[in-house]
Amino acid sequence: MPLIRRTWTAAEADKWTREDWFVIVLSPICYFALTLGVALSFLLIWEGFAITAVSIVLVVWMHWIIDPKLKAISEEYEKNQQEYLRELEDAVRWKQHEQAAP
Amino acid sequence: MNVLFTWLDWLWVGAFLLLMIGSGVLFYRLGKRSQSDFFLAGRGLPWWLPASSVYATHTATDTPMWITGVIYKYGLAGIWYTFFSAWAAISAFVSTRIFRRSLAYTQAEWNVVRFTGLGAEMLRGWMAGWQVFMNMFVLGWVGIAMGKVCAFLFGWPLWVGLVSFSSGCAIYVLAAGYWGVVMADFQQGVIAFLVIMIVSIWGIMVAGGPTGIVEKLIILGETDRMNPFAFTGWWTGEFPAAWFVTMMVIAILGGFGMGTSIDWYPEAQRIQSARTVRDSTYSIWWGTLVGLVRNSVWAIAILGFFVLFPGMTETSEYEMGWFRLGFDYLPVGMVGFFFAAILAIHLSTISSHLNLGALYATRDLYQHYWNPEASERTLVWVGRWSTLILLLGSFVYGLMMENITEWLIFALWIMTAGIWLPNILQVVWWRFNAWGYLSAWIANLGFSWLVVWVLPEFGVIPDLADYQQFWLLMLLGACVFIPTTFLTKPESMDHLVKYYVQARPLGWWGPVRREAERRGLIQEDSPKPPKVV
Repeated sequence: MPLIRRTWTAAEADKWTREDWFVIVLSPICYFALTLGVALSFLLIWEGFAITAVSIVLVVWMHWIIDPKLKAISEEYEKNQQEYLRELEDAVRWKQHEQAAP
Repeated sequence: MNVLFTWLDWLWVGAFLLLMIGSGVLFYRLGKRSQSDFFLAGRGLPWWLPASSVYATHTATDTPMWITGVIYKYGLAGIWYTFFSAWAAISAFVSTRIFRRSLAYTQAEWNVVRFTGLGAEMLRGWMAGWQVFMNMFVLGWVGIAMGKVCAFLFGWPLWVGLVSFSSGCAIYVLAAGYWGVVMADFQQGVIAFLVIMIVSIWGIMVAGGPTGIVEKLIILGETDRMNPFAFTGWWTGEFPAAWFVTMMVIAILGGFGMGTSIDWYPEAQRIQSARTVRDSTYSIWWGTLVGLVRNSVWAIAILGFFVLFPGMTETSEYEMGWFRLGFDYLPVGMVGFFFAAILAIHLSTISSHLNLGALYATRDLYQHYWNPEASERTLVWVGRWSTLILLLGSFVYGLMMENITEWLIFALWIMTAGIWLPNILQVVWWRFNAWGYLSAWIANLGFSWLVVWVLPEFGVIPDLADYQQFWLLMLLGACVFIPTTFLTKPESMDHLVKYYVQARPLGWWGPVRREAERRGLIQEDSPKPPKVV
């Protein structure tokens, strides 16, 4: 099994997996490094360019990891959205929603 | 300082106002279709539209003043004060996903999706009222900042800048609701970003370019200002490393929760307006990133301002630094373009908070508690009336602001310090219930008052540094909300299972997940073979 999985069924994508945790770690690093890297680059300090370049690579990698999973989650969820919205409108109108069969 | 505008400058301003208001009004027909359209653009936006709105909304008239203040005071290390928005780093992939799947219009509504019964309803009412107040306050705060800029530039009385531009902005918010907000935000975001880059780079060049700034800092004996980690010590001084670490914890781990930053509330609206979970994730992530990059460029321009005007001691003097780079040094004819960009910055924030405050008033107060059977047409009109009331209220707040700012900054602190942890627990821990969350809010109101003002005033405890206040308030709050949670019943399992199946939260949800699996509502992690009886 590969370290990073890139094909998902909807049910599998709904679970929190290793790919999510990779991104949870990578994402703050990207923000931190880009904030620092861009500032130092505008002072023409060479470390700034190096940090910026590395963080751009990390951003691309992060999207490569998570995008297939987000697509799978989104496609499946859209199918159920209308039913969930109807329940929400019933709740805001103080109506008891009839339990839909799973 | 009074700036002389030529006809070309006024032309920029007039053209820009026409473009903003006109484009907003163009979406009148879409905005009036339903409550969902007036407040969420029908939940159908591609990620880059709410992303531009995230960026534009969080670039307000007072943002350059605030960033100039911290960079001028602390050098490049001050950039970490602006890193609070990094809560979006984790949130985009955790709480944003969970919130988008809940489909709640607002954070107040999410409370009744996550919790149940009287506690949930009390939370919804409290949060909705608080948010109507907060949006009116932000409108007043940002509005009076515009009043100050106009007074600085043209010598106008404060109320003129406050009332005129907010009223102009209200035209397209009243007409098209969130459709108008997000379409205008897109243009405003692009214009504001470009002009911030142009003015900042112009300012850097005026100060001698990057190498010139570095050389002048060395001559001034201020090389520490180039060091982003130049703190005043580990525990002491105005900016100790302990405060840096605390800010990183608040910002980054806060992304696991909802409401850990006041920016969450406008972002929640953008999350729900995105057409899919994926779009909502990218809108928050990229919108915030552009803001962080902008802060970095701003920071270097402010270092440029520092080498041009070192030694300023009055905050009110140096916090206008970035504006001065533009108005003092841009060529004739470009000053109006700069002012038009400031208007873009201003209108995007005003429009977002007008619509957001009206959303809480309409959806969570009027519809839920007063008229649950209201038609879509009625709800849109209530949204418009709420917008108007917020606008008028913001004028009153704005004109009072000089006297109440200290109180309101205290109120903001209340929102972030003692309820930071409960805001995370409500997302990641199934056992945390409405009473636990409610008790955290109430306890925090009392503890904040005691720790920040009353006890130091009477000499019971010394004046505490910001990071000490944060950790102490968190600890004291936990002494209340954790026992309250365990002494009251958990939310009903039926309700939790329904929420779990829909939102799929991260964290400690084992008992709820197993119950959902037992009911056959979700797939088991490791399917077991059927028992043979």
